[in-house]
Amino acid sequence: MRPDDRDLEDEIRSALEMSIQERIERGEDPGSARRAALEEFGSIAAARDAMHRVWYGRWFDAISMFFQEVRIGLRSLLRTRGLAITVVVTLALGIGANAAIFSVVRSVLLAPLVNRDADRLLYIRHTAPGIGTENFLFSMPEIRDMKSRATTVSAFGDFSTVDFTLIGFGKEPRVVTAGVVNGSFFEVMGLRPALGRLINAGDDGPKAAPVAVLTHRYWTTVLHSDPTVVGKVIRLGPGNATVVGVLEPSVPYPAETQVIANVVTSPHHLGATMQEERWHRMTELFGRLAPGATLEGARAELKAVHASMVHAHPESYSAAARIGIDVKTLRDQIASPARTVLLLLLAAAAVVFVIACSNVANLILARSVRRESELAVRAALGASRGALRRTLLAESLVLCVVGAALGLLLARPLVAVAARYAARFSVRALEARVDGSVLGLGAGLAMVAAVLLAYVPRLPSFDRSNAVNPAVGGFRITPGTNRRLKVFATTQIACSFLLLVGAGMLVATLNAMSTANTGYDMGQVLAVDVPPPASGAGDEATVNFFQEATRRIGELPGVEGVASGMVVPWRDADWTKLKLQFAFEGYRPANGEDNPACKFRPVSPRFFAVLGVPLSAGRDFTDQDGPHAEAVAIVSQSVAQRLFPNGEAVNRHLWFDARSGLEPKPRRIVGVVADADDENVVQVPTMTVYLPWQQLGEPSRLFVRAAGDPHALVPAVTRTLHDISSVQAVERPATLEDVRTQVLTPQRLNAFVFSAFGGIALLIAVVGVAGVLAFSVGARTREFGIRLAVGCEPRQLRARVLGEGAVIAAAGILAGGLGGIALTWAAGRLFGVAQMPGVLPIAGAAALLAAAAILASLLPAVRASRVDVLQALRSE
Amino acid sequence: MTRTPEDPRLELLQGTLDMLILRILQWGPVHGHGIGQAIRRQSEELLRVETGSLYPALHRLVKRGWLKSEWGVSETNQRAKFYRLTPAGRAQLIREQDRWSQLVRAIGRIMNPAPANEE
Repeated sequence: MRPDDRDLEDEIRSALEMSIQERIERGEDPGSARRAALEEFGSIAAARDAMHRVWYGRWFDAISMFFQEVRIGLRSLLRTRGLAITVVVTLALGIGANAAIFSVVRSVLLAPLVNRDADRLLYIRHTAPGIGTENFLFSMPEIRDMKSRATTVSAFGDFSTVDFTLIGFGKEPRVVTAGVVNGSFFEVMGLRPALGRLINAGDDGPKAAPVAVLTHRYWTTVLHSDPTVVGKVIRLGPGNATVVGVLEPSVPYPAETQVIANVVTSPHHLGATMQEERWHRMTELFGRLAPGATLEGARAELKAVHASMVHAHPESYSAAARIGIDVKTLRDQIASPARTVLLLLLAAAAVVFVIACSNVANLILARSVRRESELAVRAALGASRGALRRTLLAESLVLCVVGAALGLLLARPLVAVAARYAARFSVRALEARVDGSVLGLGAGLAMVAAVLLAYVPRLPSFDRSNAVNPAVGGFRITPGTNRRLKVFATTQIACSFLLLVGAGMLVATLNAMSTANTGYDMGQVLAVDVPPPASGAGDEATVNFFQEATRRIGELPGVEGVASGMVVPWRDADWTKLKLQFAFEGYRPANGEDNPACKFRPVSPRFFAVLGVPLSAGRDFTDQDGPHAEAVAIVSQSVAQRLFPNGEAVNRHLWFDARSGLEPKPRRIVGVVADADDENVVQVPTMTVYLPWQQLGEPSRLFVRAAGDPHALVPAVTRTLHDISSVQAVERPATLEDVRTQVLTPQRLNAFVFSAFGGIALLIAVVGVAGVLAFSVGARTREFGIRLAVGCEPRQLRARVLGEGAVIAAAGILAGGLGGIALTWAAGRLFGVAQMPGVLPIAGAAALLAAAAILASLLPAVRASRVDVLQALRSE
Repeated sequence: MTRTPEDPRLELLQGTLDMLILRILQWGPVHGHGIGQAIRRQSEELLRVETGSLYPALHRLVKRGWLKSEWGVSETNQRAKFYRLTPAGRAQLIREQDRWSQLVRAIGRIMNPAPANEE
């Protein structure tokens, strides 16, 4: 319907032809006929434009003009394919990294929780900074006090975890972590069932029927979303429970669990210790703000309730522990551990983007200098400054849009990687997706880059005296352009330096952590989880089981020793933080000081020999240290040194402090062992009290010392344990070295991710420096030719160019160093924590960058020294 | 185009070109050049339409749906774009004609008032 431009042209031509024809028929000669017809017609262009305007509005013209510019840009970019590809890939890396990190940040820090009215959902926490515990948990009497007194919180939900052996769904017995909750928990959390129902007020108390709800993750991954699970009866620990429903997908906080059960399923929760002992803190507490109440109001009120509890029960609140209470929204609580890491990542991604942009700016700048003569011709033909800018903008837009598109394609796999990574810090990262807002971000970054890039090149001077002479085919580099190129290259080096130092710090930390002496023999010891048997066997059965297991595994070939205990170092995090107060015979705490808090570890005989912890005085536990023999203990070197500096620890007695709630029976110290820290992989002096498990506790971990490769023993050990009890779960066999590696995974990931960023930055920076020097050398061919002609040695020219590279690198490193100091200072002001990197990462990063810069200037330097004198002099 | 004071040609009244085009086309399709010639001939050379305004006007009328255009072959065997009235264009011509005669009558009464008591 709409005639196109060709149609309009045709119409005009045919009208002219008819007019000419008429005149010729009237007897005019063809030449004057043509002239007359053209004169009569008037301006063809004006007529065409007027016709065009009838059909197409003004905006259409502007856009089609722009598209034409884009087409021209595309064509001219296709001619310089190498440059275009470099630019696009660089931008794609920058934009992809930003998009991926941004999606994770958004899902963790910004996206709402699925919980109903999440901003009224409170997380209440006991803290005890005095004993280094951020999460001190609550006891049932404390929770009852708060329920009865708080008016700003309409309902409380409590949650604690228990490890149960689960038998059911036609699968092997398996140890699961179960959440044990009260009837109002799900109501408080504001969660809904995906299937069946959740635990409600009717399931509270010791008389209720045992019921369990499956978490969505467990249901989908292990049970393959079996829709028939509701109503099934499973064996959960000591008793049976009926599955009543499946929970909707939600953030697994405070702990990742497989099932959530009511209180009646756990005998421990019904017991007197749990119900009546104020010190028995193992429960997490959630609350829902009452209508009209505010977070601040609730915090103030709960602090007051806490203060009155401390006043009423001073014996349960050690002054030294400085027990306090805090209230946050659940959302803040979940996001906060990830905030620092994510903001750091975001900063790293932004730095990569800056590097990418300055690199691209350099390339574009170099290119625009090469085409200055083209622009000068266009300017001479009457193109306005605006028109020239528009051409540049169209070109950079093409580059940036393609770069952004590629970057967003790249973002999808990157998000998956980044989400898995960030999930170590906040479970919410797993919800990260690439979606519209990320597309928006990518488009925004592309626009920013495009506009920046379009304004980087200098337009040809409109001052005629200065104009480039298009007749000369070469190009000349102005001091201004050269300076700009070098500034961009220096920026890249500076940013890369920051990233490399950061990465270096993390690598150094990781390295220190993974090689630190732990006090254990790392490589030869196999640790196996052997949780209490599903039959709920009593003490005697457990003892028999472990004695039998120790004997039979000890007879396996390749086994040097077998021991048992309750804690696999670093892995059993619940245990490793637990400290109890002990009183020691002959040690009197200074005034106002409490009895020392020590870790306490029930272990079997030969535990120290198997784990490679040397005994420095006295004797090891033996099989004779049974339940009815004399109560004995072994202490760590730190205990012996701090409390008995004169070396008289052996044969002294120790007992549980009355406030720990355990029987304060005197136990004779029979030995002293070296410190071994099962909480931190970098050992700190640890006060530990070891007791024979036959006298206290119940073993659940088996340690096997192997002569050869410990992994080779796993099948035999598992078989032996199953021979003794077919329903016994045997889990997570690993050497202590494996455990440490696993524990260090977050650090390793940090180091890896930042190293990756640093590597990308380094790569881009090397390309940048090489590009700038190559360009500058190319532009100075004549200069080098003259220098060579007047007797300059090629060696000197090489040194000169290398020197230029070195100057860029030095300036960049200096700028990066100053920036780093400023950043550290700012981080210290903002977050209160700032760590200056050690000398090694700084020196390493500087050396790496300097080496890379020299390497990058090598090729241009060689080129400079090989300039053909005659050709160089002839070229202009 | 400049015009000398002694040029006898008349300037078209604003808005009358569309009407003239519709009128020329009432007997059948004509190409653009032919329309220009027809206006000149039928006005006895007094009206001369500038091609710079004729062609945009033709396209405007097509866009409004009063004309239809199609490529054809002229009487001199040349390829040319022919315009013809659509039914809507025909209705518009009647309206314009009516409006024009009213306008002429009204302006005529002012410019040449009938002498009072002529009889």
